[in-house]
Amino acid sequence: MRIPGYLFFLGGTLAALGAGWAGFPHVIYESRPQPVDFSHKVHAEKAGAKCEDCHSFRDDGTFAGVPALDKCSGCHAAPMGTTPAEKNFIDGYVTPNRQPQWAVYARQPENVYFSHITHVKLGGMKCEVCHGDEGATDTLRPYQQDRISGYSRDIWGTAAAKGMKMDDCVDCHRKHGFEHSCLDCHK
Amino acid sequence: MIAANGNNKAKRYGMTIDVDRCTGCGACMVACAVENNVPPAHEGATDRKGITWIRVFKVDNGEDYPDKRTVFLPVLCQQCGEDTPCVHVCPQQAVDVDPATGIVGQMPERCLGCRYCMAACPYHARYFNWWDPEWPAGMEKTLNPDVAPRMRGVVEKCNFCHGRWHAAKQRAAAAGKKEIQPGDYVPACVEACPAAAIRFGDLNDPAAEVARGAKDPASFRLLEKLHTEPKIYYSSRRDWVRRIGDAPRPPMGKENPRG
Amino acid sequence: MQTTRRNLFKFLGGSAVGVMFTPAPWRLITDTALWSENWPGIPRPVRGEIKTRYTTCALCPAGCAVRARLVGEQPVALMGVPAHPLSLGALCPFGLTGHHLPYHPERLKQGPAHEAAGAVANAIAQCGPNERIAVLDLRPGRTASWTYRRAMAAVKNGVYLTAPRPLGGAAVNLAAARTVLSIGVPLLEGWGTPGNVLAARAGFRLIQAEPFESRTAALADLWLRINPGSGRSLALGLTAQLEGKAMPAQAAAETGLTESQIADLAADLAHNGPALVLAGEDVPEVAPLNRLTGAWGKALIARAEAPVPDSWKKAAPPAGLASVPDGSIRALLIDESVPGDYIPWNAIAPKLVPDNPVVVAFAWSRNGYGRHAQFTLPTAVYPEMTGDAPAATDSPAAAFRISTPLVPAPAGMVDPAAFIAGAAGMDASSALRERADAIHKTGRGTLFTCADAKSTPVKEVKPEDFWKALNEGGCWVDAAGKPSAPVEETGWQAKTPAPQEASDLPLLVALTDLPGATGLISPLMSKLYQESNLRLGPNRAALNPASAAACGVSEGAHAVLQTRLGERPIQVTVSASVPPGVVEVGASPEILDICGAFSRARVAQS
Repeated sequence: MRIPGYLFFLGGTLAALGAGWAGFPHVIYESRPQPVDFSHKVHAEKAGAKCEDCHSFRDDGTFAGVPALDKCSGCHAAPMGTTPAEKNFIDGYVTPNRQPQWAVYARQPENVYFSHITHVKLGGMKCEVCHGDEGATDTLRPYQQDRISGYSRDIWGTAAAKGMKMDDCVDCHRKHGFEHSCLDCHK
Repeated sequence: MIAANGNNKAKRYGMTIDVDRCTGCGACMVACAVENNVPPAHEGATDRKGITWIRVFKVDNGEDYPDKRTVFLPVLCQQCGEDTPCVHVCPQQAVDVDPATGIVGQMPERCLGCRYCMAACPYHARYFNWWDPEWPAGMEKTLNPDVAPRMRGVVEKCNFCHGRWHAAKQRAAAAGKKEIQPGDYVPACVEACPAAAIRFGDLNDPAAEVARGAKDPASFRLLEKLHTEPKIYYSSRRDWVRRIGDAPRPPMGKENPRG
Repeated sequence: MQTTRRNLFKFLGGSAVGVMFTPAPWRLITDTALWSENWPGIPRPVRGEIKTRYTTCALCPAGCAVRARLVGEQPVALMGVPAHPLSLGALCPFGLTGHHLPYHPERLKQGPAHEAAGAVANAIAQCGPNERIAVLDLRPGRTASWTYRRAMAAVKNGVYLTAPRPLGGAAVNLAAARTVLSIGVPLLEGWGTPGNVLAARAGFRLIQAEPFESRTAALADLWLRINPGSGRSLALGLTAQLEGKAMPAQAAAETGLTESQIADLAADLAHNGPALVLAGEDVPEVAPLNRLTGAWGKALIARAEAPVPDSWKKAAPPAGLASVPDGSIRALLIDESVPGDYIPWNAIAPKLVPDNPVVVAFAWSRNGYGRHAQFTLPTAVYPEMTGDAPAATDSPAAAFRISTPLVPAPAGMVDPAAFIAGAAGMDASSALRERADAIHKTGRGTLFTCADAKSTPVKEVKPEDFWKALNEGGCWVDAAGKPSAPVEETGWQAKTPAPQEASDLPLLVALTDLPGATGLISPLMSKLYQESNLRLGPNRAALNPASAAACGVSEGAHAVLQTRLGERPIQVTVSASVPPGVVEVGASPEILDICGAFSRARVAQS
């Protein structure tokens, strides 16, 4: 039986769709795990920590971001639990006083200026609105980075949180009437 | 694109520069380059191809000794308030006037490098990155994190040290305030001038020194006849200096057209 | 099934349509745009906590107070300290870019410290009865200078040499002057403490007497164009006029002014006093002139240094090169570790013994004495170094402030004070602390602390706190009135003026001030030297268009500057503001080695 021509066409379309949607993300993103298997959930529940206890603001309003080693060493100078992840952390980082090279999911390009304190303190926004409920996660998902542009995959949005592209910021800014000039958010 | 939010009274940031005090030391020029991550000159750079967001010119009255008189004139982006030429001509809309501060902001990330704005600017205050920036090994550690370095092919210019405006707003937010403290935000050139010749402030604030300086009859602006309404007011007690503002370009002796 | 080419194309066509409905092509387009904007070679500034630290600038004798902005532990910007009593919040362009110096490409990273120490030890051991071991200090008055003086007192035949101190060591109080006559002194180009000079500027009328229009002359209230080298004649003419004596004929003849101009100037100084007369060390007549104009005691005063511990009093006195016989220096150690006035090598070379003298230079680069020294040892550059700054020329009161390191110095750096003290068998590692304690013991003066901008009387400060504050950019300022220590009268040291040179060389050399000449300048200074016309670059010579045409060179040409002492490659700048028959060059060490002020030269094509 002769196979009708349109089936080749359809086959091509389906193959492309499959490759583009299922295969392309594996090709375009490179993935690496975080240096330490950190559990937000454990620290939120057992240590009673809130977001701002570690991801704090300094006196001049700047955001400390991912905490430096001394924040962790404050409690973990000696093992507090029995997990191998904690032991690896203490042996690999606390004892030799080595800063873990955390990959920041929300890292914006160099020309973007984002002020956390304006959004949190003046805007009254909760961390979960942009970052998702990170505090409830038990592990840190691997950091995925676009091979060509170097941007974190989270910029395009995850299941937990909406994206952090300029369009996403502008949507919210327009709704609340905070839109004056490009240099408000660029530097 | 501009939405009013009615919270902050709109400011118009400007400067008064007392050219009788300027000694031509160039502290403003280097402080600006330090603050804004402007790279050292490429080998091929000259005064035509270099990047000097603020540049001090030596101007004289054209006479010979003993009647020769000299003045030093710092020229930076005049932050034109009316019919801003560079905003009008940009095909990319990579320049805009901020209604909240009056600052004319250049977005190098949007610029495609056509340099139309450089032709349109009557003050020659815009600079093109002919080369990628390069710092000697190790010196890149001294870059200011509040300002993004630019790559080659884009235009840049003074934006009244916008990184410092951001930092001042952040300090205000830390104190729970929406408005910054007036003295908390000064551009690098203003802070660096050893002679305190450059003053900065809100022209809309009647109490500010710059507002008083702007109304002073001894003050003049560059190329006022073009009606660009620049926000940089120069002042001098000398008549011949006040007339410089009308000249099409500061005379600098014999200019080399090859640059 | 049959896979014909046609079917293949149908497959590919379907794929093309299908792929449009996937993110792939759109993402690739976006990514290409993003990649082209975030060019990999562009450095990203490092982020971190913003901190503030205070120190004292070491780039010139002014010793301005510095407020450093650090990201983490890295200085990214330097600014002045606004309420500071001495520097009044000002920094010059060199001070504003000092944090770049550790990364300067020409910065020395290593040197033969052991060999140099061995050679110096040998020279000291073998030093003959008529020979000398000498230290040449380009920035006297520091605590390190006292270490050298003590070391040279401890070493047999040791002698401590410095350049002549400006104004014989007297201090200037600009606030007390109503008129200032500056004979060639670059008052508005980095003289004294810029913040102080500019704050006082509105209070006096400035008359600048010099042959070429410097920036100071252009900014002065009156510029008197006198002939090159005629400063002494002008001073003599003014002195005669103020004493009521007949004016010597040479005054008008040599300066090129008329007698009535000189008489008017003298009357100006007499009626609008106190009138301060400033000149270089080549015009010793300025001392009595300042007494006649009423400046002495008001605008020009005797000022002591900050006190030193009593145990230091056994120290070699400062001496000039002229006091050393020719061919007598067996070992010469030159401290070039802070920028200072360069003494041309042809003035130093004759003083060395003819057979194997040992010359050690402590420097940041090879550009200064490193070109002549046998051993060039690298030192920590500002802002890596620890040192102190005595009060500047224009501070009426004695002062003491410490430069504390903002960044650690790399390994392999030599501390000249430690080296020289070691050669003399001394330990001077706690010299700064000893000096601070001696100052504190006097109970005089006030301590200014930068962080809170407060001045506290020293009597109310504990010794530990005093030392701690000094190490955080604090400054001790002596009380006004009677000096706390006897004033060391070094007297006016007259430099023998160079004889008029043969005029077969067509051009007259005008030296432009090049601050920091013996040190390094930040690459960012290209804003002033290359990317604008504001200053003449270090390797450039400026000629009038007519002179350039006569020499056969044009703008940007690579040429050679020839004098009777040597030659140097330069690049030509053509500028109508340079008078015809004059070549303007920056006073770098290489230039100073081949010509002095008002030498004659030729510019030839290379």
